[in-house]
Amino acid sequence: MTVPTADRASPAASAGGPPIVELTGVGKRYVKYDDAPMLVTAALRLRTRTRRSTLWAVRNVDLSLRRGECFGVIGRNGSGKTTMLGMLAGVTAPTEGRVTVRGRVAPLISVGVGFHPELTGRENVYVNGTVLGLTRRQIDARFDEIVDFAEISRFIDTPVKFYSSGMFVRLGFAVAVQAEPDVLLIDEILAVGDLGFQVKCFERMMAIRDSGATIVVVSHNLNAVRQMCDRTAVLHNGVLRFVGETAEAISVFHDILALQDEPDFAATQSGPGAALPHSPGVARVESAELIGADGQVTRHVRSGERVKLRVTVGVLADVEHPIVGLGVLSEEGTGVYSDASHDLRMPPLRAGTTVTYEIGMVVALLTGTYTAAVSLTDAGRTVLATTAPLAFFVSGRPTAAGVAELEATFGVEQP
Amino acid sequence: MSAAGFQLEGERTPLRELIADLWASRPLIAILARKDFYVRYRRAAFGLTWAVGLPLLQAVIIAVVFSRVVHIHVGTSFAVFVLAGMVGWSYFSTTLATAATSIVDGSTMSTRVYFPRAVLPLVQVVANLYGFAIAVVVLLVLAPLLGVGLGARTLLLLPATVVLVVLTSGVCLVAAALHVYFRDVRYLVTAATLGWFYLTPVFYPRRLASGVLGWVVDINPLTGVVELFRAATGGADPHWAALVTVSLGWSVALVGLAAVLHTRYNRVFSDLL
Repeated sequence: MTVPTADRASPAASAGGPPIVELTGVGKRYVKYDDAPMLVTAALRLRTRTRRSTLWAVRNVDLSLRRGECFGVIGRNGSGKTTMLGMLAGVTAPTEGRVTVRGRVAPLISVGVGFHPELTGRENVYVNGTVLGLTRRQIDARFDEIVDFAEISRFIDTPVKFYSSGMFVRLGFAVAVQAEPDVLLIDEILAVGDLGFQVKCFERMMAIRDSGATIVVVSHNLNAVRQMCDRTAVLHNGVLRFVGETAEAISVFHDILALQDEPDFAATQSGPGAALPHSPGVARVESAELIGADGQVTRHVRSGERVKLRVTVGVLADVEHPIVGLGVLSEEGTGVYSDASHDLRMPPLRAGTTVTYEIGMVVALLTGTYTAAVSLTDAGRTVLATTAPLAFFVSGRPTAAGVAELEATFGVEQP
Repeated sequence: MSAAGFQLEGERTPLRELIADLWASRPLIAILARKDFYVRYRRAAFGLTWAVGLPLLQAVIIAVVFSRVVHIHVGTSFAVFVLAGMVGWSYFSTTLATAATSIVDGSTMSTRVYFPRAVLPLVQVVANLYGFAIAVVVLLVLAPLLGVGLGARTLLLLPATVVLVVLTSGVCLVAAALHVYFRDVRYLVTAATLGWFYLTPVFYPRRLASGVLGWVVDINPLTGVVELFRAATGGADPHWAALVTVSLGWSVALVGLAAVLHTRYNRVFSDLL
C-alpha cells in the first residue's frame, strides 16, 4: 500500500547524509506457543510439535528518520508501536526487511534497568550506566550531574529499596539521559515524577534534540506528541497508515478511531451487560453518535467537556420497563464509569417504533482514548441491544496522568 | 555495544559480530558479576563467611563421613583429596544453577536494552569466580596443614581453572539458551546436577568406578577437570592427562554448540521472554 507523506514540516529535512534510522520493508512475526515447550517431551518425542500460532506485529514498514528530528509514533494498543520501538533499540530483530541505525541508541524505556534494591543509589548508577553503554570514566565524569538532576544527593549512599518510587524513577531517568545518544527512544516517559521533574525532563529532551540527536516518542498522549514532534507516524494493525506532519497524523488517527473496524475489540469489551443474558430480536441499534458541547458530532473531546451520546433504537417487540445503561472504558479495558436509568421510569417501548435516547455526561477524564457503550435492558436485566463501543479521544492537561481528572491543586501553608 | 549503530537483517547475529559485541561487553559483565556477588553476600549474616564456609563445610562432612565409614586409600590426605575435588565441582554446580535461568531471569533488562544475551550466563560464570577463588585459597592453606606439600605441581591449578571456566561457560551458555525455549530446563538441570555429583570422582578415586559406571565416569566432562585439580595437590588418577583431554574435547564441543545457538537466537531470545 502507499503511505502518504508530508515532509515539509521537518526542520531537519535539509540536513545532509544518510538517514540515522532506516527501516526497509520491515516485518516482525511473533510465534505464540499454546503450551510451553518442554525439553523432556521434545527429547522423548512424545509430541513432535507444540501447538502454536503466529502473529505479524508489524509488516511492510518503510521509514527513515533524519538527524535532529523529533518523530512521534501513535496508534492504538496492539498496533505494533512497542514492537517497532524494540527493533529500533536492537532488542529484537525483524523477521523480514532491514533495520539500520547509524548511531548510538539510548532507550528511555529502560529507566532504572538493572537497578538492584540492595545496592545504593551510587552503586546502581554505575550498574545502570554500564548497561546503557557508558564507560566507567564517563560515569565518573557525569556522576555529580546525574545526582543533581535526580535531586537525591542526600540519599545517594542509601540502598534504593528505601527510595520512594519518585526517587527511583528520577535516578533512572537521570542516568538514561546521560548516555548522550544519537537516537533517544521514549515510551510514555512523560508521565513520571512530579510536575517540576516532568518539566525538567522535557527540557532535557529538547536539549538532547537541539544537540543534534533524533528523538522517537511513542505515546498515547496526543498533546505531548503534538507539542514535541515534527513528524509523526500512525500505526494501525501493524501497518503504517500515515507518515508526515503531526497535526495531520493526529487527524488520521482520529479517523481510525472513528472507523470501528475491529470486530475483536467489541468482543473483548467488558462494558455494561457483558455478563448478562442477551435477547436479540427485541431491539436494534440504528445509530449511535457522540455530540460535543458545540452540538457537532465529534470524536475528540476536551477534558471536562459536557457531551451527549445520542442513540437511536428500532423497537421490534414491546418492552414495558426499559432501562438505559452507559459504560465507559479506558483503552486498557478498565471500567471507568457505568450507570443506568434504574430509578427513572423510561417510557415503555412499542413494537414498530423508533426511540432516541440522549445520555449526557461530563468527560472528567485525562488524555487518552476511551470507549463508551450504551445498552438497553429490560427490568429482568436481559440485554436487548448494545451499541458498538464508541471510541473517542480526550485531550487533557499534559501534566496529569491516569484516567480521572480530579483537578488537583497544590498549595502550601507557610508556618 | 551499539556505539556505532547496528544493522538488523534477519534474525541471525553473525558470529564475528557476536564475538565483537561480547568483547565490548567486558565492563558490563564485570560490573554485573560484582553486583551479583555483592548482593548475594551483603545482607547475609557473616557475609563472606558463607562463601568460604559452605564448600569447606561440605568437604569436611564428606571427609569425616568417608574416612570413618568407608576407608578409601587415596595415597594422600583424604580431606585434601575431597577438598580439591569439591573446589571445581561446587564452582560448576552453583554456576550452572543460576546461569541456566539467567537469560529468562534477566528479562526486565534484556527486553529493553540490547547487549549480547550470552552476557547474562557469563556474568554468573564470572560472579562465582569470587567464591571459587576463596575456596582455592582455603585449599592452599589447608593442604600444608594436613601434610600435603605444595610445589611446582601446584601451578597446575592455573590450567585447571582455565579448563573449568571454559567448560562451565559452554554448559551454561547452552543451558541458558535452551531454557528460553524449553522452560523445564531449570528442573532438568537441578535433577542432572544431583546425579552428576555421584558420577564425578569428587569423593572417591576414579579407579573405584568399574564397568559401565567406570565408562560413564571416564566420558564425564567434569572428571578431567577434577583430576587436574588433584594433579595440583596430590591424589590424581595416573591417567589424569587422558581424562583432561576428554574435558577439553567436551569444552570445544559445548562452546561450539553455544556459538551455534547464540548466533541463531541472540536477537530473538527477547521475543520469548
